[in-house]
Amino acid sequence: MDKKEVAVVGIGQTKFRARIPEKSYFELAFDATKEALDNAGISHKEVDSAVFGIYNDLFERQIMPDTYIQDYLGLYGKSGTRVTTGGATGGYAFRAAYAEVASGLSDITLLIGVEKAQDNFDWSQYKSTPEVLKSIAYSADMTWEFPVGAYAASSYALLATAHMKKYGTTEEQAALVSIKNHSNAFKNPYAQSPLKLSVKDVMDSRMITYPFKMYDCSLYTEGASVLVLMNKDTVKKYKISDPVWVMGIGSSNDKSFTGFRSVHDALGNYGDIADLRNHYEAARIAYKMAGISNPFKELDVAELHDAFSFTELQAYEAMGFTTRGGGGRFIEEGHSLIDGDLPVSPSGGLLGAGHAVGATGVMQIGEVAKQLKGEAGERQVKIEKGRGLAHSIGGPGSSYATVTILGV
Amino acid sequence: MPKTSTEKARETVKKEVRSVPIEKIIDEVIDKQLKVNPGIVEKDKYFEIPDKIVMFYKYSYGSQSRFFKTLKEDAKLSGTKCSKCNFVYFPPRANCSECYSDVEWIDISNEAVVLSSTTVWYSNSEFFDRVPFAMAYIKPVNADTAILQRIELNDKEYAEPNSKVMARFRKERRGAISDFWYELL
Ligand SMILES: [Zn+2]
Repeated sequence: MDKKEVAVVGIGQTKFRARIPEKSYFELAFDATKEALDNAGISHKEVDSAVFGIYNDLFERQIMPDTYIQDYLGLYGKSGTRVTTGGATGGYAFRAAYAEVASGLSDITLLIGVEKAQDNFDWSQYKSTPEVLKSIAYSADMTWEFPVGAYAASSYALLATAHMKKYGTTEEQAALVSIKNHSNAFKNPYAQSPLKLSVKDVMDSRMITYPFKMYDCSLYTEGASVLVLMNKDTVKKYKISDPVWVMGIGSSNDKSFTGFRSVHDALGNYGDIADLRNHYEAARIAYKMAGISNPFKELDVAELHDAFSFTELQAYEAMGFTTRGGGGRFIEEGHSLIDGDLPVSPSGGLLGAGHAVGATGVMQIGEVAKQLKGEAGERQVKIEKGRGLAHSIGGPGSSYATVTILGV
Repeated sequence: MPKTSTEKARETVKKEVRSVPIEKIIDEVIDKQLKVNPGIVEKDKYFEIPDKIVMFYKYSYGSQSRFFKTLKEDAKLSGTKCSKCNFVYFPPRANCSECYSDVEWIDISNEAVVLSSTTVWYSNSEFFDRVPFAMAYIKPVNADTAILQRIELNDKEYAEPNSKVMARFRKERRGAISDFWYELL
């Protein structure tokens, strides 16, 4: 289909914080929605539909939290659907919102990503984190993998150790991702974890699940991020002067049983357990739609899903920024630094800005839109080609992956 | 006079209760902890209370029941093999996801190899007191897939990929994945 059919015309978000106990999930959604609607210059009454990106009912302490948000936002009478695909919830919700507009079902759609997390509380240990991790761990297969002790970090650590074995990737190379993203967060007023770190700081931080140390892992976060999407005719009608167009979307899900991924199956040309096979496939589809053949040369900026530092190295390869196995060298050479050839995650990414699951992917797409519009403040990167990429992933062994290309 | 529906309900509600709901027992534990440490909930800037979501199940393994029955009764691993494409599933599947053909049950070898591994030092609430433990994707010699399972490291800190391992079985088995583990050779 023609490009420049659907545009992002409004961006809003709350600050990302470890815990925001003074607001409930629907109030967080309200704050970010109000900001996004103001940014677009429209009222909620002009919206045709809403898409909700909310990962985990156990975080929100509520099954079907979307219906309560829709009520609170005064969006009764309109269509509303929820997307939940683990860490990829925000990116996949964007895909659904795009489809809502591109199909002609809606002229204006609100995309609302929101998440609580730290109301979970472990009454035995008197702290939140183990209970937050349990809420997420229930996403592991409950028969075969949860009872073994699988949880989010171990699931991605098993991809990392396979990558280390196959390509010689090192813990020190992954530490560079942590240093970069925590450092980028200093220039993002919405970010949770600005930190000045050295390789030694990361290497010496406590082991979580080998090879991930504490500073290799993003923290759990609460917050909301909202975008307003419009079709081409409505952009004209509202005289929007700075639309950011959706140029391509590609999504691909690999086998949720990571141990079933083999070079002999239908995604086998991308590799095995060591390779983010569905990320390669999602990128291929998105680049084809956007008409991009050399992403390293044709993109100005990328936001990658660095829930864990190693995953960003693996994603450099899957996004085609470098060669297979070249992820570690890519950051050693400084390409992904904020002043590098292809800045990655100027927002701070998940490590620096925080991981408010349903809101994360929406925040990162919003960051790419802000960068392309030249509205990223102190962390603004150089925009020459007018193309940016956002990557949103999640699920066991990263079974969900979606890639969004925006352009101006 | 025939009884009204409300009268019938009043007679039966009491009889239907067999014992105190288990959720109430959890509430008592939390209440005790709150007495020890009342400051744990914040009531000044915002109002917090303890809460919980508890679900209980009597869960059926469906067609995978045969694996767990064999595991419990015979201390043996079993998988399935597609009759058309010969793909060997472990964990077993009752249907071939590749070609949708029928499968047959086969014995799975206790000998296996590590594909990738991690050693866990910080975990979720249910496993918080069990660290450190190692788990890995482990491919039996006669399967096309790998299973996530625990590894007994025998004093090592980590199980290197390509290590050879052997399945070991608990003496008391209940028909769950925790009935077996792998040991580094
Ligand atoms: Zn088959």
